[in-house]
Amino acid sequence: MHAAIIFVLLIVLMLTGMPISISLGLTVLTFLFTMTDVPVASVALKLFTGIEKFEIMAIPFFILAGNLLTHGGVARRMIRFATSMLGHYHGGLGLAGVLACALFAAVSGSSPACVVAIGSVILPAMVRQGFPKNFGAGVITTSGALGILIPPSIAMVMYSVSTNVSVGTMFIAGIVPGVAMATALGLTTWYIARKNDYPRMPKANWGERWTAFKESAWGLMLIVVVMGGIYSGIFTPTEAAAMAAVYAFVVTVFIYKDMPLKRIPKVLLDSASMSAMLLYIITNAVLFSFLMTSENIPQAMADWLIGQGFGPIAFLLVVNILLLMAGNVMEPSSIILIMAPILFPVAIKLGIDPIHFGILIVVNMEVGMCHPPVGLNLYVASGITKMGISELTVAVWPWLLTMLAFLVVVTYWPGLSLWLPHLLGK
Amino acid sequence: MLNRLLDRIEEGLITFLIGAATLVIFFAVVHRFLSGVPFIQDYTVKMDVSWAQELCIFMFVWMAKFGAAYGVRTGIHVGVDVIIRKLTGTPQKMLVLFGLFAGALFTGVVCALGSNFVWHMAHTDQVSADLEMPMWIVYLCVPLGTGLMCYRFLQVAWSYWHTGELPHHDHGHVEGIEDVGPLAVPSEQELKGAR
Repeated sequence: MHAAIIFVLLIVLMLTGMPISISLGLTVLTFLFTMTDVPVASVALKLFTGIEKFEIMAIPFFILAGNLLTHGGVARRMIRFATSMLGHYHGGLGLAGVLACALFAAVSGSSPACVVAIGSVILPAMVRQGFPKNFGAGVITTSGALGILIPPSIAMVMYSVSTNVSVGTMFIAGIVPGVAMATALGLTTWYIARKNDYPRMPKANWGERWTAFKESAWGLMLIVVVMGGIYSGIFTPTEAAAMAAVYAFVVTVFIYKDMPLKRIPKVLLDSASMSAMLLYIITNAVLFSFLMTSENIPQAMADWLIGQGFGPIAFLLVVNILLLMAGNVMEPSSIILIMAPILFPVAIKLGIDPIHFGILIVVNMEVGMCHPPVGLNLYVASGITKMGISELTVAVWPWLLTMLAFLVVVTYWPGLSLWLPHLLGK
Repeated sequence: MLNRLLDRIEEGLITFLIGAATLVIFFAVVHRFLSGVPFIQDYTVKMDVSWAQELCIFMFVWMAKFGAAYGVRTGIHVGVDVIIRKLTGTPQKMLVLFGLFAGALFTGVVCALGSNFVWHMAHTDQVSADLEMPMWIVYLCVPLGTGLMCYRFLQVAWSYWHTGELPHHDHGHVEGIEDVGPLAVPSEQELKGAR
């Protein structure tokens, strides 16, 4: 009964359009003041301690690093490298776009950042080469979503925060599905380009490739710093994020000289306000999941589902549908923070691996970012291409179908996500 | 005038906090790294940086509270806007104002709870684990930050009532992208010529 009241209240408050963080907070307060005898003082304490975890602090650092790289020419050099490698196949620049997105995803933790950084450089170039506008927009909108699957990833940090799964293991688990998905998107691009005979570029020789690689090496090194650092145990994920921010700063300001020093305060301010927004949602989501746990709701739900004879297969199907539906109205961070603590205990009871479950959620979020009404990537892409949202929605279809097919594979083939972490003994 | 000053302080504070926190963690890592090197080791041992992690957390908690207030002013807090976008005229205006007042209500209540909590904490001598900083000072960010946030919600509601405009944050816009020139690739004509 209580569960129903909580959820109805939350959904009604959300639908009024107030910030998600506020609707979470108000739900908790209303419930506490009217229906329970949990002392309000213990909630006050939660408000302070909600985000006092060092793991969470990876989020502002990754956002800062990502913003520094988006501003600079790191993305541009990655595109040049990707073009020299794949430009001569069918749909040359499109394929290069997918690879560049995957490379940029490996240094940045957010997916709209990926779309901005790669899209704003490669889309005008694609139009110049005579690609139809919606082809380019479709490629970049969907490939940009790789940003949260290929580590580092802010969405994965969010999942780890709400379920206490190790961030480092999640990152490592994201590598194989990330590469697989990039390949799937690349194949889709290649197939469409071959069918329509889109432009190819002259093949670059190995000398040109080497030059392009050397130029982008400073950016690519960041992958080594972050992933190598975390895996070898030199850094914790949060420290790796801070190192990435400092490294990105040095590279953009002093090595590539893409950004004057006086622009830094503005970048810091933007990153701080973006992080504060996410941290604020986390604070209130922690409060919300505290309420859920004190009312024993996840446990009750798990028992009910198992009592109904739900097996892992049916459960995962329900989870996918639920998350895809949530993806229609909310942005990923909020979905993960609200849903993960509720669904996680059920998944554990059904014997689903926590890491596999996390990857599944992240892939779901990727799909959600690419379709309306709230797909953030669509809005970002529409800002760059000046195409309308409905036009873009049609443009992303072929890739969106690929992503959905990939989601089914990730859901029912745990090995894809678990193989690498197990191999590395994590 | 006072508002302008408040805006500057707010922006200055969060900019400083994120920058400083990054440097603190950077130096802590460098310090730990150097501690493994002979010769330098003898110097690093004298410096204790075990407090870095705690300081970083405190800085970010402060940044989160004041940044959230800044976010209200710039419209960065996202909500589910499917219904609001369908409405027009007075109903839409009412719903937007309802949302803003709900925000003010929530932050107001939290500010009150927080003040009470900090007040009681100030009468104890609790200090933080590593920095040994009085905890009530650390927790002061909650009443201060949330109080400011409450004020910002009312401010936004006031200006919406009068001008009908809401601050809007464009997630797709990143500064500095515009001045990057076009990518040097052959154009359509050049490609055709090469075939």
